Amino acid sequence: MAAGGGAGNKTYSFKVVLLGEGCVGKTSLVLRYCENKFNDKHITTLQASFLTKKLNITGKRVNLAIWDTAGQERFHALGPIYYRDSNGAILVYDITDEDSFQKVKNWVKELRKMLGNEICLCIVGNKVDLEKERHVSVEEAEGYAESVGAKHYHTSAKLNKGIEELFLDLCKRMMETAQAEERAKGNGASQSTTSRRGVQIVDDDPQAATAAGGCCSSA
Amino acid sequence: MAAAGADMKPLQNAMKIAKVAIQLDAGNRHKEAYCEYLRSINFISHSLLEDAVSRQGEIVAVEVEKMLRLAEQCLERAKSSFIGRRDEPATPTSYTTPINLAALSLTTTLAVSPGKIVSPQPQEPVIYSGPKHNPRPGQRRVLSEGGGEVTTFLPPEVFQSLQIVESQDTRKELTPIEEASRLNQKLKENYEARLARLPPAQARTQKTSLTLSLQRQMMENLIIAKARQDALQRKMEERRLRLQEEANRRFAASGTITAEEQEQRVLYTNVLEYEQDHDWPKLWKANIKKNPDDATLVSGLVSCLLSCPDHPVMMLLKRLQYRVYNRLYPIVSKSLPASPALPMKPSHSAQSLLMSDSHQNASKSEVGHSMSSDASLNISFSHDHIAEDGDGPHTLDRENSFEDLEQFLTQLDWAPSHGDPDVTFEQSQLDQEESLVQDLEMRDLKEHLKAIVKDIHIAIDQLLSLCLLSFECLNTASSKDLCVASIEEAFFTPLWSSLLALFRKVHRERELCFESSMRLYRDALPGDVGVASKLYPQDPVVLHGSYPYDSAVQELRLLCRDCCPQRKLECIVRTLRLICACAEDYSCLHEAESKTAAIGADDLLPILSYVALRCELPQLVSECAALEEFIHEGYLIGEEGYCLTSMQSALQYVESLHTGGFQLHNTKFT
Repeated sequence: MAAGGGAGNKTYSFKVVLLGEGCVGKTSLVLRYCENKFNDKHITTLQASFLTKKLNITGKRVNLAIWDTAGQERFHALGPIYYRDSNGAILVYDITDEDSFQKVKNWVKELRKMLGNEICLCIVGNKVDLEKERHVSVEEAEGYAESVGAKHYHTSAKLNKGIEELFLDLCKRMMETAQAEERAKGNGASQSTTSRRGVQIVDDDPQAATAAGGCCSSA
Repeated sequence: MAAAGADMKPLQNAMKIAKVAIQLDAGNRHKEAYCEYLRSINFISHSLLEDAVSRQGEIVAVEVEKMLRLAEQCLERAKSSFIGRRDEPATPTSYTTPINLAALSLTTTLAVSPGKIVSPQPQEPVIYSGPKHNPRPGQRRVLSEGGGEVTTFLPPEVFQSLQIVESQDTRKELTPIEEASRLNQKLKENYEARLARLPPAQARTQKTSLTLSLQRQMMENLIIAKARQDALQRKMEERRLRLQEEANRRFAASGTITAEEQEQRVLYTNVLEYEQDHDWPKLWKANIKKNPDDATLVSGLVSCLLSCPDHPVMMLLKRLQYRVYNRLYPIVSKSLPASPALPMKPSHSAQSLLMSDSHQNASKSEVGHSMSSDASLNISFSHDHIAEDGDGPHTLDRENSFEDLEQFLTQLDWAPSHGDPDVTFEQSQLDQEESLVQDLEMRDLKEHLKAIVKDIHIAIDQLLSLCLLSFECLNTASSKDLCVASIEEAFFTPLWSSLLALFRKVHRERELCFESSMRLYRDALPGDVGVASKLYPQDPVVLHGSYPYDSAVQELRLLCRDCCPQRKLECIVRTLRLICACAEDYSCLHEAESKTAAIGADDLLPILSYVALRCELPQLVSECAALEEFIHEGYLIGEEGYCLTSMQSALQYVESLHTGGFQLHNTKFT
C-alpha cells in the first residue's frame, strides 16, 4: 500500500442511499444526474434502482454507488438493510408536499440512530420549478437541516437544476469524513476490509479502471 | 508332545507346528495344512496368554513380538489355504509354495497393498447423492428441491473417503518396495506356470530347486528394494529439512512464533516440496511472468491448481472442508428440518394432502403445537424420500436406509402426542415444555451456525493466503478475485447442501411464513402486491398463456441449483435484470407513457416480491440468509450487493403478507 494517506493513486468507493416518499421524484433526480452530455446510454441494467458513477474530484478518483430505496410505506420496515454501511444519504422531499417533508424527518431520526454522525446527510427539496405551489418554507427546511447536522439543497429534476452541485458537494463531504477516519486510524494503513463503514480505499488498479463498464464518467 | 516341547522354547515350538503346516500346504493337503495353521495360532495364543496371566515373564519381549507376528502370518496362510480349498480344490493356488518363514515374514510385512485406499471407489455411484454429481436431476422437480434431499447427508467418514477418491485420480508413482512386490508377484506366476508345464515325474525332482531359486530371487528383490527405499527416505528427509529452513527464512523470524505462523511454515514447506517434485508450477510462473497482462493465463493457472488434488493448497482445502462437514453433519443429520409442505407436487398427492392438512392445523392452533405436527410432517417426508429413492436406479445403501429407519422410529415416538389433540391439559403442558426445549435448541443452533460461518471465513482466508504464497504472481487485485472465486467454488460445492440444511433449520419460522403467503397468493396478479398497472400487461393474450415476469421467475428458480455463493449471487443479479427488461417491454405496451421507461426501487420491489411469490420456493429465505453471510465484501457495495439486499427485502415483505399486513383484492382473482 502506498505510503501517506491521500496520495493521488487511490480510489474511494462510496455508497449513497436515496430515500424519499413515492412521488417526490427521486428516481428522476438520480437519472438526471447519471445521464450526462458525454454518454447518452446512461442507464445500467438495473435501470434507475442502482446506479454507479465515476468521478474525479481534486485529483482523486471516486466511485459512487447510488442505491435507490422503495418509498412505499409497506417497505419501510426493510430500510435498515438498505442503508447499513452507507457513507451518505440523500433524503428527498417535494416542496409542494408537506407530508413528504415529515417523512424526511422520520428518516433522519432513524439514520442518526442507526448510523450515528458519520453518515453525510443531504436534505433535498425537489420540484423547485413548482415554486408557486410551495408548501414547505425555505426557512423551515434549512433550519431543520442545520439542527440535525444535514445540508439542505434545492433541486429541480425537470429543469436539471442544483443536481450536479448536490452530488459534488456530497462527495467532497464524504471524502473529508473518510480522510478524517483514516487519520484517526493512524497513517491510513488500514485496509478496506477493516473499515467498519465500507469506505473502500483501494490501491489503484489500471485494469479495473479501464474494464469497468456500465457507468458514466465525468471529469 | 508335551514332554518333547517342555524343554523347547514356545517360539520354537510354534515354528515347528507352522513348518509342518507349510509342508502340508506344499503337498496340496490344504485341509490338513489349514488345521495345522490354526493349531499353531492356538498354541501361540495359549502360551502367550499363560505367560501374560502368570506374570512370570518367561518369554522375553522380542520373542513375544516374534510370536505375534508368526501368529499373524499363520492366520494369513490359514485364510488363503481355506479360500484355496473352497474356491479351486483341483488347481494349486498361488500359496502352495513352501516358502521359509523368513521370506514369508519379509513379504508380508514389507509389501504394501496399494489397493487398500482405493476401495471406496466402486461404492461411489451408490451412496454419493451430494450436489456435485447430481445423480438424479431428472427426478428433481424445482418444487421438491427444498424437501427431498434432507436425509441424504453422508457420514463424515464417507464424505472424506470421497474426497480421497477424487484425489486418487492421478496415478501415483510406485515406491521401490511396491515395485519389488509387483516384480515378485510376476516371478511367482512364472514359477507356477513353469511347474504346471512340467510332467508330474519331473516336477517332483525339479520342484525343490525351482522353489529355492524363486525364494532367493524374491528375497534379493526385497532387500534391494528396502535399501533403495531407505536411501530415498533419507534423501527426502534431508530435502525436507532444507526446504523447512527456506520456509523459515521466508517468514522473517520475529521473536516468538504463534501456532498459526508455525502452521503456515509447515504448509509453505509442503508447497516447496511439491514444487521440487512437479514442474507445472514453475512453468506457469514463468509463463505469467512473461505475459503479465494475460488474464487467461491466470485463470488457466487457477484451474490447473484446482485440478491437482495433491497440491498442498488442495490438500488443505480438503482438510478444511472435511472439518466443516464434520461439524455440520451431527447437526443436520440428527433430526430433519421440517421442510415446508409442497402441496403442488402432483405425484404424491395423497401425502401432500396429508402434509398440507397437518400444516394448516399447525398454523391454526397455538404455537406450541407446531413441534408435534412437525414430527408428522417429517414422517411423511421420510416416506416420501425412501419411496423416491427406491424408484430410481440409485438405491440407498443399507446403512443409510437403516439410519433413515432409525430416524423414522424416533419420529414415531413423537407422533402419539400429536395423535390425540383432545387431551387438552397434559397436551398443553407438554407443548410448553416442548416449546422451551425448542427455544433452547434454536439458541444452540444459532450458535452453531455462527461458529461454522466463522470457521468457513477463516478457512477461505487461509486457503487464499496459501494460494498467494505458492503463486506470488497471483497477488494482484484482479487475480486475487479470481482466486477467491475459484477457491470458494471448490470449497462450497460439496458443502452447500448440508450448510443450507443448517440455515433452513435456523430460519424455519421465516420459511413457514413465506410458505403461508405463497399459498395465499398463489393466483395473485402483480397488481395484488402493489405493482403499478402500467408495468404489467392487462391483456392475458399478450402473455401467450403464461404470467407476467415469467422469465424472471424461471431464472430465480435456478438459484437453488447452484452450489456456490458467487453463482447464486449472479443468479439474483440476472433475475433483477430480467425484471427490468420485462418492465421496459411491458411499459412499452402502454405507449401513452413510454417516456418514463426506467424503473426505480419504488417499482422494482413490488415486482420482485411478485416474482418471489411466484417462485414458490420457501428455501429462498435460507439461501439468501446464507448468501448474506458469504457475499464478498467487495461486492457488498456494488450491483450484487444491491440485488441481494433487494431480494432480502422482497422476501421479508412476502413473509409479512400472510399476516394481513397487506390487503388482498379478491376481485382481481381470475
